[in-house]
Amino acid sequence: MNDRSRDIGEFVPQPDDDMIVCRCEEITKGEIRRAVHDGMFTLTEIRRYLRTGMGLCQGQTCTKLVKAIVSRELGVRPNELEPATGRAPMRPIEMKILAKDKEDA
Amino acid sequence: MKRYDMIIVGAGPAGLSAAIEAAKRGMKVVVYDENAKPGGQLFKQIHKFFGSKEHKAKIRGFHIGEELLAEANSLGVEVVLNAIVIGLFPEKEVTVKIDDHVEHVKGDTVLIATGASENMVTFPGWTLPGVIGAGAAQTMMNLHGTLPGKRVLMLGSGNVGLVVSFQLMQAGCEVVALADAAPRVGGYGVHAAKVARCGVPFYLSHTIVKADGDEYVTGVTIGEVDKNWQVIPGTEKHFDVDTICLAVGLSPMSKLADMAGCAMEDNPAKAGFVPTVDKYGETSISGIYAAGDVSGIEEASSAMIEGRIAGIAAAAKLGFISEEECEAEVAKQETALDGLRQGMFAPGMRGKMITETEEGVEISQNLLKKGFVADEEIERFPGVTHNTGVHPVIECTQNIPCNPCQDACPKHCIKIGSNITALPAIDPEQKCTGCGMCVASCSGQAIFLVNEDCGDGTAEITLPYEFLPLPEKGAKGTALSRSGEAVCEAEVVNVRSAKAFDHTHLLTMKVPKEYAMKARFFKEAAKS
Amino acid sequence: MRIEEHPILGTYEKGRTVSFTFDGKELQGCEGEPIAIALKNAGVMVHRYTKKEHKPRGIFCAIGRCTDCVMIVNGKPNVRTCITPLEEGMEVRTQYGVGEKAEGGAQK
Repeated sequence: MNDRSRDIGEFVPQPDDDMIVCRCEEITKGEIRRAVHDGMFTLTEIRRYLRTGMGLCQGQTCTKLVKAIVSRELGVRPNELEPATGRAPMRPIEMKILAKDKEDA
Repeated sequence: MKRYDMIIVGAGPAGLSAAIEAAKRGMKVVVYDENAKPGGQLFKQIHKFFGSKEHKAKIRGFHIGEELLAEANSLGVEVVLNAIVIGLFPEKEVTVKIDDHVEHVKGDTVLIATGASENMVTFPGWTLPGVIGAGAAQTMMNLHGTLPGKRVLMLGSGNVGLVVSFQLMQAGCEVVALADAAPRVGGYGVHAAKVARCGVPFYLSHTIVKADGDEYVTGVTIGEVDKNWQVIPGTEKHFDVDTICLAVGLSPMSKLADMAGCAMEDNPAKAGFVPTVDKYGETSISGIYAAGDVSGIEEASSAMIEGRIAGIAAAAKLGFISEEECEAEVAKQETALDGLRQGMFAPGMRGKMITETEEGVEISQNLLKKGFVADEEIERFPGVTHNTGVHPVIECTQNIPCNPCQDACPKHCIKIGSNITALPAIDPEQKCTGCGMCVASCSGQAIFLVNEDCGDGTAEITLPYEFLPLPEKGAKGTALSRSGEAVCEAEVVNVRSAKAFDHTHLLTMKVPKEYAMKARFFKEAAKS
Repeated sequence: MRIEEHPILGTYEKGRTVSFTFDGKELQGCEGEPIAIALKNAGVMVHRYTKKEHKPRGIFCAIGRCTDCVMIVNGKPNVRTCITPLEEGMEVRTQYGVGEKAEGGAQK
């Protein structure tokens, strides 16, 4: 999967490349496909590169859609792709609240 | 740091059930839920559940939610609402946002019961206001008494799409069509049939081409897809709608399990990325459990049992009960769970093509492709028999785990037997009294009482009716067929309502006798 | 549109009628119900316009997950209106982009 020398061919434009996939960050299908051709083979890399799933909803809507697009571009099955790392905080949270950490409450 | 014997994330059917079992055995339990109200999706489920008595069959989902909540409260379970769990760590520490701060809480056991999130599909215009998830439609209608729109197109023929389509009509919306890219209806045939006979056309192998509108949805175009899911040019159909409802599946919300370091698997039989669990619901991390949709998408009824098992197992783990007691209790729950995981829609059957029932009866292909059983197909099912006088006609044609009709009949006319998924059959020796208990008890609304020949050239059909306004005795209108087509004139000759029917009214209509086996729904003529 | 009577659920328990403003216009809703529900019943479909493409968004998930319905409430941006209870006198405004920013990105 992480073999970067693997040839996935040239980026070929598709008619629905301007379709929004990540609703929060307004990332299109074309941008995601292009990112794969830029060498982003894992979902974590795609996320860091494009901010898909890093908006307000934290990937609630687009995670599965992004996975499908990336796997198709790489020519693998979606369940062969490792999901992007999950880490706290699981939900969008204001910095001032995150800072109010009542350890000994 | 606060400590609990068990921390439960999610106050839905699985979480509350686990809390009840754990608290019953003396454990100190806290349940966190990010919503303002507990119960998860149960309070949006207004249909009667399938199953048998032990699975709370024929009770409506929201009533089950009320029961669970009352039981949890009476056992002293602490349910904290508007509490968002933002982190779970392997040493069973939980960070939770409550009000304007973050608390750290430690549990000797933790249950992840976070449920599922809705899948979505993309099409031009899918971000327009008016395109909503099926869950959103349920929330608006059933919790907040608000119509999502006037005219709705539903995408998705799984149980969610079918159930919500029916709910939309109950609330007063018009469902203009139900589309699904799959070639066959995904949900229970009985759910499809009750939607189809109201006149909703089914478009299988169809997907949304685009949504129209600049500021919000004003219309939708669907088109037929070929084997490669591409729209076949020339097959497009347009509908004027203000709402497009998406019901294209659920995915487990398993991120907490992943971040805690639980072993995970991407399992299509469980509809996604889930923590691997043993028979007690325990993940690879000792003391961290997962139950409900988060460990594999199923019905709420299964989630409740999985929750109970996890609660019992956690009690044993901490020494509140003995190993023996745990084994005995878990075995009981497993039997109940196995009962639900039978039949054509069992988790292991996902994606499999079934051509005949367990009894060897050929499946109705029309039901799978159009949402209703064709006239020429219906006679082959064991629930459909003919007799003189009033008798039940049971249009239950798939093996699903459900048997309330068998117990409902005081005369024991209806036989399912010990195999819960068997198709109901009629015992012709027992005389039907026309009490209608079977009609009201059928969660799939698939039972009709028919008097095929009243002696005056007419027939009478009693059907379950859950809409407003309720037609009155003497009301005139049209009888609709299983496909929702107007077939003949009809007059309501009786309307029965009873507490035991739980809001399912029994409407009896009179039709010319040649329509006795065709007419299955009543549409009142517009009053002038 | 409100459901007057539901065949299964009967009538709904609702809070008292309160006034609030939407982009300066006075509207009415039921106290305690989500702001988004009050807006929906007042015929408001568009809650915000997106940052990049300036496209309209409204209610999508209705349970506080998707965050498409966020608006500026009492001056605070990114408030999920589908799960925030309506209060008397609330000032609700259409959100443009990520919050209180004028066209071009400069803080107002």
